[in-house]
Amino acid sequence: MTGASAVEDIVKSEYEHGFTTQIESDTLPPGLDEEVVRAISQRKGEPEFMTEQRLKAYRHWLTMREPEWAAVDYPRIDFQAISYYSAPKRPEDMPKSLDEIDPLLLETYNKLGIPIEEQKALAGIAVDAVFDSVSVATTFRATLAEAGVIFCSISEALHDYPELVKPYLGTVVPYTDNFYACLNAAVFSDGTFVYVPKGVRCPMELSTYFRINARNTGQFERTLIVAEAGSYVSYLEGCTAPQRDENQLHAAVVELIAMEDAEIKYSTVQNWYPGDAQGVGGIYNFVTKRGDCRGARSKISWTQVETGSAITWKYPSCILRGDGSVGEFYSVAVTKGRQQADTGTKMIHIGKNTSSTIVSKGISAGEGRQTYRGLVRIGQRAEGARNHTQCDSLLIGDRCAANTVPYIEVKNPSAKMEHEATTSKISDDQLFYCRSRGLTEEDAVSMIVNGFCKEVFNELPMEFAVEAQKLLSISLEGAVG
Amino acid sequence: MNAPLHSGLEYWLNAPDDGPDLAWLDERRHGARARLSARALPHSKQEAWRYTSLKSLLEQQFTAIDEPLSALQPEDLDTVLIPGFESHRLVLVNGRYAPELSMLGELPAGVRIGGLRDWLQHDPESLRGQLDAALGDSEAFFATLNSAGLDDGLVVWLERGAVLERPIELIHLSVGLDEPRVAQPRHLVHLEAGAQARLIERYVSLGEALYCTNAVMEVVLGRDAVLKHERLQMESRNAFHLSGFYLLQDENSRYSGINIGLGARWARTDLNTRFRGEQAECVLHGLYLAGDGQLLDYHLDVEHAVPNCRSEENFKGLLTGQGRAVFDGRVLVAKSAQKSDAAMSNRNLMLSEQAEIDTKPQLEIYADDVRCSHGTTVGQIEPEMLFYLRSRGIDASQARRMLCLGFAGEVIDQLGVEAVREHVAAAVGQRLT
Repeated sequence: MTGASAVEDIVKSEYEHGFTTQIESDTLPPGLDEEVVRAISQRKGEPEFMTEQRLKAYRHWLTMREPEWAAVDYPRIDFQAISYYSAPKRPEDMPKSLDEIDPLLLETYNKLGIPIEEQKALAGIAVDAVFDSVSVATTFRATLAEAGVIFCSISEALHDYPELVKPYLGTVVPYTDNFYACLNAAVFSDGTFVYVPKGVRCPMELSTYFRINARNTGQFERTLIVAEAGSYVSYLEGCTAPQRDENQLHAAVVELIAMEDAEIKYSTVQNWYPGDAQGVGGIYNFVTKRGDCRGARSKISWTQVETGSAITWKYPSCILRGDGSVGEFYSVAVTKGRQQADTGTKMIHIGKNTSSTIVSKGISAGEGRQTYRGLVRIGQRAEGARNHTQCDSLLIGDRCAANTVPYIEVKNPSAKMEHEATTSKISDDQLFYCRSRGLTEEDAVSMIVNGFCKEVFNELPMEFAVEAQKLLSISLEGAVG
Repeated sequence: MNAPLHSGLEYWLNAPDDGPDLAWLDERRHGARARLSARALPHSKQEAWRYTSLKSLLEQQFTAIDEPLSALQPEDLDTVLIPGFESHRLVLVNGRYAPELSMLGELPAGVRIGGLRDWLQHDPESLRGQLDAALGDSEAFFATLNSAGLDDGLVVWLERGAVLERPIELIHLSVGLDEPRVAQPRHLVHLEAGAQARLIERYVSLGEALYCTNAVMEVVLGRDAVLKHERLQMESRNAFHLSGFYLLQDENSRYSGINIGLGARWARTDLNTRFRGEQAECVLHGLYLAGDGQLLDYHLDVEHAVPNCRSEENFKGLLTGQGRAVFDGRVLVAKSAQKSDAAMSNRNLMLSEQAEIDTKPQLEIYADDVRCSHGTTVGQIEPEMLFYLRSRGIDASQARRMLCLGFAGEVIDQLGVEAVREHVAAAVGQRLT
């Protein structure tokens, strides 16, 4: 198999998870103005302070300009052509258990290979499945409640625990932060709220499966995770979307807050529809993710496997405020076909003896374009700060691109920071070695690529690691000749 | 009519028009000027100026030199010359070529060296294709400003196969005048196929004067040509220094450059390399030492436009006092530039609480069969190393100095002429006491 034709093959391969479930949606007409913002807030029955905050964000958003610095090209987004709210029907009649869930919906999950019941039994994972914008299924609530962990949709949280949400929401990513975060603050539909009380080790991995379903509906998720002193939580986020024609905007905001000695582990497997061979129709993934290590010795760890989306614009960051706090970023990003990704991380060292690790592995095939953009800032008072960064790019085919743009700003002499980056292709020697031992070319490539990404996969929870490896193999099937 | 330029930069261009009268040259100056007035001043929202503010530069109100300084005698150079260094010496005083201070000596056949102004007077046509050959249509603000104010500089031209054994020494001597002045020399270096030379470029001053240099050098290396180039920036600590270096390399040519940055209060250096022919090689070494009140800013732009070329950048920095340094390196590998080999490294040693380093080594790669890497480190002197030396009876400050010189030595040792190497090592050593 020649390289060029093999690449053609994957580029042409149909998106495996492309199907649309026929469920009537209660959707707002496209367009955005103050009325729409009010309507969203009203439909969700939010407290007054939320409506005000949304309006404040919306008014600020009107003064902002779309960022253009990322190395991605896409047609201008018409924000008036997007519908900002879509909820499955019967919003008053929310299902209380799986039996009440629309069987069509359950089937959708089954098609995607995430049977909720099975997961309950086998993986011990509580699933807060997000179908479009409103959470429709939440499981294992009881077990979590016993431990005192709150795991629910953010609208529910605003209802039931406003005193827990209000002091934290928007404190890590303020609405003024950037264009898309601001839009999100105005129109966010739903998302997840996790609260882990003092000293509690969350008894299970928490997981949310996202799925964008209604046509032309931007998805504006909002996630807030608060880990109180001495607690631990591991959160998994994974997603896949049905095939469709029009570009979809996804502008999520994720805020993590870790108090003294707390640890948050946030893992993502992202496999949204990347668009067809011409790059038409894929998801625009413009996400703001940031963690705040507020307490001493706290730790926030981001792990991501990004294989989907037409355009990714994403920089999970850590603010290392507490003394001795730790930030980690492990990433595997794959771009093929016409996919473009501008992704990386920011590590802002403020506290003393803070340390951060960045491991970024980029794989670019076909006409994929990928940029690692990262910032390591060591403030003047960040005595004894430590950073190690490694970003490697693997190029497959001669039409792809890989850029590395690290920013390193050091204002403290006791800082120790190292940055390494390499860009290469799979070497003929490596391939020859494997092939001479009887492996097919495809298996050899898969093996080498998996080895290339191993450091990151090791950081994923077990179930996810298996899924991620499979995803990677499928993504790169026949990519090398 | 020309639109006025930003923030007094107008005065950078008001040199008397007593040079050669050439229509094509005037056209180029005016073109550059028009491009400038259409463009905004560099500001911190632009990637290339993210960490460096023009504020202190624009506060100064520099004006162009209006007449050559003739009062200098050869003895005045004594403090500036490197003892024991034999060279074909060319001296520019405040940006103007000063033949009376220069000592060109005997040049072998095929080697022509002279002042740009004279050259334009006597043989303008030969330079028509050379001027802007490497600079191209660069958008760099201060290089364009240099083009707009084009006045004097140096031309080095080696014909096919010419080999110059003795190094060319180019001394930029700045002398303080009663008001702050700016000099904008433009140098053209052309090595035809197979030619070889060593060029040592020095920026020095008489006394700690306040002035500004905005120099541009264009270098074109023909097939198989070899240029060894050493740039020693030791301007006055009150000076502002801007320099743009533009290199164009043909097949199998070799360029090796060493940049030493010790002087100036505010310095910005842009080094640009473009490969035009295959199998060419470019190696850039650098050492900068930023102390109290200094900002040293280096920008590297290496473009692999054709296959099979090799580039290596190795910059090291020492930061003391409230010194600040910026390193922004970019390697671009174009789609067709398969088998490119590029390695970039930037290592920094922070020696004080208030120092700051901003470094940004970038790779931009559009070809797959390449070997590219970059590495950056920032750290301080390892306590174990200090302990080792102290336990052998060396006092703390001496030990620290030894370790810093060891760190800098990797670059200093690359300097090809012993006298120059000693001169630089002494200057670095002095700064570290």
